[in-house]
Amino acid sequence: MAVVENPGRERVLARIRSALKKPAPRHVCPPSAGPVFAAIPDTLERFQTECVTNSTELILVPDARRAADALGMVIASVTPGEIYSQDAPLLRWMLGGLQTGRAVRWSNGGPPSESSQAAITTAECLVAATGSILIASSAAGRGASVVAPAHIVVASEAQIETDLAAALRRARERKLLEQNSALFLITGSSRTADIEKILVLGAHGPRRVVLILARNLG
Amino acid sequence: MTTPAQEFLRAAAQESADIPRRKAIRHAVDQYDAAVQHGRQQFLDYEGARQKCYEIKWEALNHLDEYLVEFEKNVNARGGHVFWADTAEDARGYIAALATQRGVRTVVKSKSMVTEEIHLTAALEKLGMRVFETDLGEFIVQLRNEPPFHIVTPAMHLTRADIAKLFREKLADAMSSGASSEEPPELVAAARRALRQAFFSAEMGITGANFLIADAGMIAITTNEGNDRLGTAVPRIHVAIAGIEKVVPRLEDLAMLWPVLATAGTGQTIACYNSLIGGPRASGEIDGPEEFHVVLLDNGRTNLLADAEQRDVLHCIRCGSCLNACPVFRTVGGHAYGTTYSGPIGSVLTPHLRGLNEFQHLSYASSLCGACTSACPVKIDLHHHLLHNRRNAVNDADRPWSERAGFKLWKWAMQSARRFAFVGSVGRAAVRGLHRLGLAGTFLDPLRTWTKFRAAPPIPRKSFRAMWRENGSR
Repeated sequence: MAVVENPGRERVLARIRSALKKPAPRHVCPPSAGPVFAAIPDTLERFQTECVTNSTELILVPDARRAADALGMVIASVTPGEIYSQDAPLLRWMLGGLQTGRAVRWSNGGPPSESSQAAITTAECLVAATGSILIASSAAGRGASVVAPAHIVVASEAQIETDLAAALRRARERKLLEQNSALFLITGSSRTADIEKILVLGAHGPRRVVLILARNLG
Repeated sequence: MTTPAQEFLRAAAQESADIPRRKAIRHAVDQYDAAVQHGRQQFLDYEGARQKCYEIKWEALNHLDEYLVEFEKNVNARGGHVFWADTAEDARGYIAALATQRGVRTVVKSKSMVTEEIHLTAALEKLGMRVFETDLGEFIVQLRNEPPFHIVTPAMHLTRADIAKLFREKLADAMSSGASSEEPPELVAAARRALRQAFFSAEMGITGANFLIADAGMIAITTNEGNDRLGTAVPRIHVAIAGIEKVVPRLEDLAMLWPVLATAGTGQTIACYNSLIGGPRASGEIDGPEEFHVVLLDNGRTNLLADAEQRDVLHCIRCGSCLNACPVFRTVGGHAYGTTYSGPIGSVLTPHLRGLNEFQHLSYASSLCGACTSACPVKIDLHHHLLHNRRNAVNDADRPWSERAGFKLWKWAMQSARRFAFVGSVGRAAVRGLHRLGLAGTFLDPLRTWTKFRAAPPIPRKSFRAMWRENGSR
């Protein structure tokens, strides 16, 4: 099915081109004086506030060593069972120094299994305005951040971007579009309000999103 | 055979008399209204945000051919396939053939109104495939064999008791741990258990797309549950289907569209999962599908595009805010419309997609209050388009001969004071006579639809003009 008969393509395009011969009215409003979004004077503070709102558990640490300690504590708090981790040097180093007593499956061995109790990944960047985490398919994979009941992310403060516009710009500049088949912006834990508009966490994805944020991971 | 208009009137009368259901809708809409106030706090200038979204969509729609071709080129470059479907049948045919050739037995679907529009699930089930809706609300209405009640909140009309009863009947295994519970967390957990099996056995994941990003060659999908994430990570084939109007020019446009969609849709600052997917698993990636297909659907959209006056209807981002704002939707609910898209946007759109003649009645399912237009985050002039559709129906569609004759008479009478007085006196005498003979409300009474639910005022013997003549300016 690599080459598919698609006579519809030319027909649809011809109809579009014929339709567009007649110009549509364009409602022009006087340009508003100020910016659309409120300014963010302190990105870390805003990021923290948004994490509280969207129920991301945020753990602030000074450095990589403390980040590893925090990771140990978070792992101890998740349901007994296998841990899945992105195969990254930083995470190898952090997990290598911990006595978790858990089986760890690394991403170079394949995708996470349904029985994984937590998945650990890094992030491409963070967004202060929305309290979001951007991850990429070539690094953290597609399934890791949704299959396990807990998603643990390790990142540094330098990765915080002010807003979505800055994060998307950064994604383009760093060629993330070319290097990944998919990018995921994650804002809090999986949720639904489909039953009587009552918020329930942990719909299909993780109930817990834990972000270990180090001032400096160097 | 009943016409869609007759069926709408019957269903609207029935639904509007269903007090518990109206209470459920009202509860959901009240919760939504409160949330939107919160979501809007992120904007210093929400009107400015609406204008920016309008401009993004205007630019995309008025250069639609260029942006679609750019999108296609970029998807192909990453190893994805793009199929252009003229009609619902073409789209169904492509997906059904693909699924059959690849030996697909189980399909997991993420929420998509376009798949409702083309009745995809029924087509795949006919081929013997198991198709699971995985958005919780969609899963619930699928178990009830119902279409979604609302574009964003498919099970808005149901209470937790309704859903608990349904799950006990249909999901006995998954419900076993909390068989008597009606608590939403228990019900969500049961659906999660049931659908996990589907996700891990499915060979194909089908999603919609909120936006098609031309310069990135990626689709953008927004959910809160993460069902789209599982459905595009685990199965070996991913098919995304979207209307051609979903394309936007640049990746950076999402910085405005994502927050506005979330605020208008559910009152959130941003939805939980905003995914960008541009192809199948790339070399070196650990998971993801082997194949990625995008189906671009026309199915009547180019007719609407050709209507320059109403082209902005294609700006719609399916947030559902016009439904929540509409006093008609709040009263009759989503099922009464008998169409895939309900509420004001459905009333405007459906005559274009399915024929003005059969669906012109929806142009009257409105009080013309304009709440829909005020709520629309991409500034579609919805209530004026309802008027445009009424005008078009008078010019191009079948209207009753009595209406045509009545307006001809009215036009003739309005053109001269003498004729106006004459027609007025004849009309007054005729109606007074009918009412005196006890024929009020019968088929002979021209006021019968008005007086069906209202007391008729007494018809005066004399006209205002006659009284003015008699009393002068006193």
